[in-house]
Amino acid sequence: MIEVESLYFKYPLSNDYVLKDINLKIGLGEVVGIMGGNGSGKTTLIKHFNGLLKPTKGTVKIFGKDTREESVAYFSKKVGLVFQNPGHQIFSDTVWNEIAFALKNFGFEEEIINKRVKWALEFFNLTQYKDTSPLLLSGGEKKRLCLASVLAWNPDFIILDEPTVGQDFLQKEKLIEIIKMLITQNKTVIVVSHDVEFIWLLQPRLILISNGVIVKDGDCKSVFKDNAILEKCGLTKPQLVELYEELYPLIEQMPVDIVEAHSMLLKLLRGSK
Amino acid sequence: MFWLAEGLVYRRQDSIIHSLDPRVKLIISFSLFILSLFSSTIFEFTILLFAIFLLGALSKVLRRMTKTITFSLTFVIMIFVINLLVGYDLIFSIIISLRFIAIISSSSIFFLTSSPDELDLVMRSLHLPYDLIFAFVTAVRFVPVILLDAVQIIDSQRSRGLEIEKGSIFKRIRNYIPVLIPLIVQSIIRSEELAEAMESRAYGFSKKRTSYYTLHFKRRDYLILCLHFMLVVLFILLVYFFHL
Repeated sequence: MIEVESLYFKYPLSNDYVLKDINLKIGLGEVVGIMGGNGSGKTTLIKHFNGLLKPTKGTVKIFGKDTREESVAYFSKKVGLVFQNPGHQIFSDTVWNEIAFALKNFGFEEEIINKRVKWALEFFNLTQYKDTSPLLLSGGEKKRLCLASVLAWNPDFIILDEPTVGQDFLQKEKLIEIIKMLITQNKTVIVVSHDVEFIWLLQPRLILISNGVIVKDGDCKSVFKDNAILEKCGLTKPQLVELYEELYPLIEQMPVDIVEAHSMLLKLLRGSK
Repeated sequence: MFWLAEGLVYRRQDSIIHSLDPRVKLIISFSLFILSLFSSTIFEFTILLFAIFLLGALSKVLRRMTKTITFSLTFVIMIFVINLLVGYDLIFSIIISLRFIAIISSSSIFFLTSSPDELDLVMRSLHLPYDLIFAFVTAVRFVPVILLDAVQIIDSQRSRGLEIEKGSIFKRIRNYIPVLIPLIVQSIIRSEELAEAMESRAYGFSKKRTSYYTLHFKRRDYLILCLHFMLVVLFILLVYFFHL
């Protein structure tokens, strides 16, 4: 459980608060989307979830433990953070060692390390590259490698910062599958993204941030109905929501994916005949 | 670590020093730098640092100058301790440390008040080869970018359980490998991308380069320069001839 109470944060020697009065509770098994304009404080907020940043005022607790009380490594074992740019992470000579790096830092036994790395390589379709330099992988493969290197230690919370940047449609679909699979394992996935189409397909609990303040926290469908808030956060609506609004009241509920939209439209066309 | 970058970055501001011709700023900074090299008593450094900080206040960059000095404090302490250890007395160690602070802060006056474009124009007015100017100006532009990269990389590796400040001195040095490799790789990638972007925009095609902006001394520049030289001469007379 991540509990955030009255969190205020400002960077050293800065006068302005980047985060203001954030109150939040995120439990296990949830999918949470965090959205907002550039510089709204999304990344600053998620950096509090593994103790990389400590609150200026207020508290952040992970499974009841204040992030001020323990090291980043301690919280990272429970909260895995996948950064936006794989270039800021990759340094090992082989893909295998890149995945094993965190496991070694966390002090896992050799046997478990080998087992977990093998699982991550197979799961992310990277086995053929295990002895290759990670720097030689393509952009999409590097992104998958970063996710593999975090999932390898099996954290309870997985935070993905802009996971769809530079990813093609197939990679996005694969990512959605992975997230859905993680939810079935009672993991919590927190996704920070500007990609409304991707977020819509996940149907998460959606948190909107503007100027360091949470302006909306609720069910994805209700958030995307709120035009004023969306405008405030500089967000557009997903195409399926726009389709629903165009056709309402001919269709009564928002389609969550193309398959559902397709069957709704077919039903509508058959009915109009 | 974000705040460190603040002390190294030029920001457009409205101050009398910012509006001066960059050549005047360079002359002022450089003369203060030379005086820092030749000053040898605590009294001289007091006057010199007072002048430098007064300039910093006039430029409205005093706060960012203090960040630069805070950043260099580790080196100041190292210089002070090493001087004491090799047998120099306390006064001499203080003077050497003050000299380092004066050098850093006098040069930061120029860099904090002059944009990379102004730096480019100043170097061109000195008739330096353009490739050299471009390399230098690009390096200056990239300092804050690389610092921010370093912050991101450290955060990323700490999130994977790396405890940089843990262990013996050798272990700590080794802990920086996962930070340094991505930093170097990112810098190389960025420089390659920059080179390609420059070539795509015909860099090096024309031998004779022209500039949209040109430098012109104004009356205010002459006045400030004269005032500066008078103060420098007064300082030299007081210190070296009247031994104040």
